[in-house]
Amino acid sequence: MSTKKPSTALTSRQQLAAVVLAAAVVGAVLAPSVYAATNDPDDTVAVVEIEGPVNTALADDVESELADVRANDSVGAVVLKMDTPGGAPVASERMYKAVQRTSEQMTVIASVQSISASGGYYAMAPADEIYVLPTSTVGSIGLNAPAPRSSAPTQGPSGPDKRGGNEIQTWAQQQTLADTFVSAMMAERGEEFQMPREEVAKADVYLGTEAVKNGFADEIGSLNEAVHAAATAENLGEYRVDTRETGPDTGFPFLLRTDAQVVAIHANDPGYGDVKPMGLSYVHAPAVPHVDAVERFSESDLAVDRGGAAAGSGATGNESARLAGGVDA
Amino acid sequence: MNRIGTLAAAFVVTLATITGGAALTGYVTADGAAPAPEIQNDHYLDDDLVANATPGQATVEMESTARSQTVLVDPGVEPSGGAPTGLLGLLGFGGPDVADRDVRPLANALIENGHDVDVYVPDPEQQRRAAGPGGEQGPTQLGERLAEADAFVTFRTDYDATELGEIESFVESGGHVIVATEPDAAFDEPGAAALDATLGVTTESGYVYNMAENDLNYQRVYAEPAADSGSALTEGVDRAVLPSATPVGTTLAGSDVLAPIEGSELSTTRAPTEAPLLVRTDGVVMVGDSDFLSPENAQRADNDALIGNLADFLVSNDRTPPGPGGQQAPSGPTAPGGPTAPGGPTGPQPPAGNESAENATSG
Repeated sequence: MSTKKPSTALTSRQQLAAVVLAAAVVGAVLAPSVYAATNDPDDTVAVVEIEGPVNTALADDVESELADVRANDSVGAVVLKMDTPGGAPVASERMYKAVQRTSEQMTVIASVQSISASGGYYAMAPADEIYVLPTSTVGSIGLNAPAPRSSAPTQGPSGPDKRGGNEIQTWAQQQTLADTFVSAMMAERGEEFQMPREEVAKADVYLGTEAVKNGFADEIGSLNEAVHAAATAENLGEYRVDTRETGPDTGFPFLLRTDAQVVAIHANDPGYGDVKPMGLSYVHAPAVPHVDAVERFSESDLAVDRGGAAAGSGATGNESARLAGGVDA
Repeated sequence: MNRIGTLAAAFVVTLATITGGAALTGYVTADGAAPAPEIQNDHYLDDDLVANATPGQATVEMESTARSQTVLVDPGVEPSGGAPTGLLGLLGFGGPDVADRDVRPLANALIENGHDVDVYVPDPEQQRRAAGPGGEQGPTQLGERLAEADAFVTFRTDYDATELGEIESFVESGGHVIVATEPDAAFDEPGAAALDATLGVTTESGYVYNMAENDLNYQRVYAEPAADSGSALTEGVDRAVLPSATPVGTTLAGSDVLAPIEGSELSTTRAPTEAPLLVRTDGVVMVGDSDFLSPENAQRADNDALIGNLADFLVSNDRTPPGPGGQQAPSGPTAPGGPTAPGGPTGPQPPAGNESAENATSG
């Protein structure tokens, strides 16, 4: 009955070996994914960078990143990495509202690096907490604007305000713009500020050490500590950090100020289209270099070599006079 | 045929299963934008948030019935470089200093009440000749013009020694002077202290501001009659708006007229200040601001009443000008009939050797 001819069928041991081998191969292929799935925590702290001048491109990115964060269930908390002297009012407001929405949904902590002033402060104000380093700069809640001046009458425009309003109307508009900012900050942090509204409206800036005492900030701490605090607040346990860069990656624009206003420069060798005046801005002006200073250092022969250092100091005096809104001497 | 039908059905069912499964999975795991939380920002809807932009109205009226007086205005035009010529210069004053429109409310009030308004624009030609060597010291261009005037309004502070002497004797002879300065007048140029000493007034560094109550900007401060003023200058003035004002003071013989309202602070100290912004002695009014005279600012608060009072002050003087042939202007065909045509037409032969005139340009 049993024919002893060699069988091509596998023995049960061979079958077992083949199955084990196949399982090992499949397991080896799947192992990294399984490892990642079990090892990688579900929870994420998103670090959204808000760096450089506040402008439309930055606001676009910040809005988009924060919307993505809100929609992403794995993100449990947000840290805003702040490093900006402020910029355009509308862009500041857009980021303010985006942060406000996010803060409704999860813990948001702002971590100030060297500066978060004016429009930058506006953007981060709805955060649950503001972390600063001891020498970070925060504050400057107010509007940067030139003194309105009456201009000579022109013929042609369809209405009297087409070329700019009456001097008093412009003063009123500027005051409204400043009050809008101050009111928003009082609504967000009025209970933290250890000073009345009038003092806040002076638009002073404070170092981190002072800011944690007067309510412009809440804690002294680095970015890592802010991330940890955000994760702890949301009971994340184990989490990973997802850093999201925002704004244009070209390094532009950079801000310069003239005697009269702040301008955004969008190219190193700017043409007409690359210089955008910012007549009214939420910017901390001392953090923005004066165009004369930049030009002096960019010249092939520095002014000091020609004994022309006086040019710079003259410009400073002039600026003070104009900013004061007085009669130019 | 049946075989092909079976294969086709299998293909369709398989494809539908895979794509349908993918669609269902995508729908279930959709990661789109969640509805944004509703946020009510009441602070943007506050009724008081939008500042009142109504420019206002001004009615500058004078009470004085004094006979026709001549008021000389020095808008602060530099005597060299880009000096204005003729009528064109008169209209714009050729520079960023006090322009014609900036003093119009005051000038118009004077003109409407029968007074002459004369504008001092130095003639660079004459300036050069006057600076020539030799000859006896005579009056400066300003001195010649002051000799014909009853009152003097100046927005300048950098007078040289000779001019200061002429201004001093002008006041001593009963002429009335208004000095309108600015917080930055002495910021980067010398000279203001000498004029202040001549007139017995002072100015402080810095500007006054008020964060709590102001006219559309913290630097546009309200000033009200000083406690013990009771001056004719404050008649009808509950509040005046002084944009960018500096504190001024006077000697014991003088009196405070306008002081900033409560809550005002000084920029250099960041502390509350009650220092006056407008003071007067018998013949001199010193005001720490010059912008309040402009047409737009004349329409704010009671500035129109203040300007009318200042016009009254100017014409209520005790001076009888010696005129072009008087003690201060020994010679020269100075055109006397041209209150609105100074500068070009005024061409007296200047006395040579006025060495100090050169200093007028360097301040």
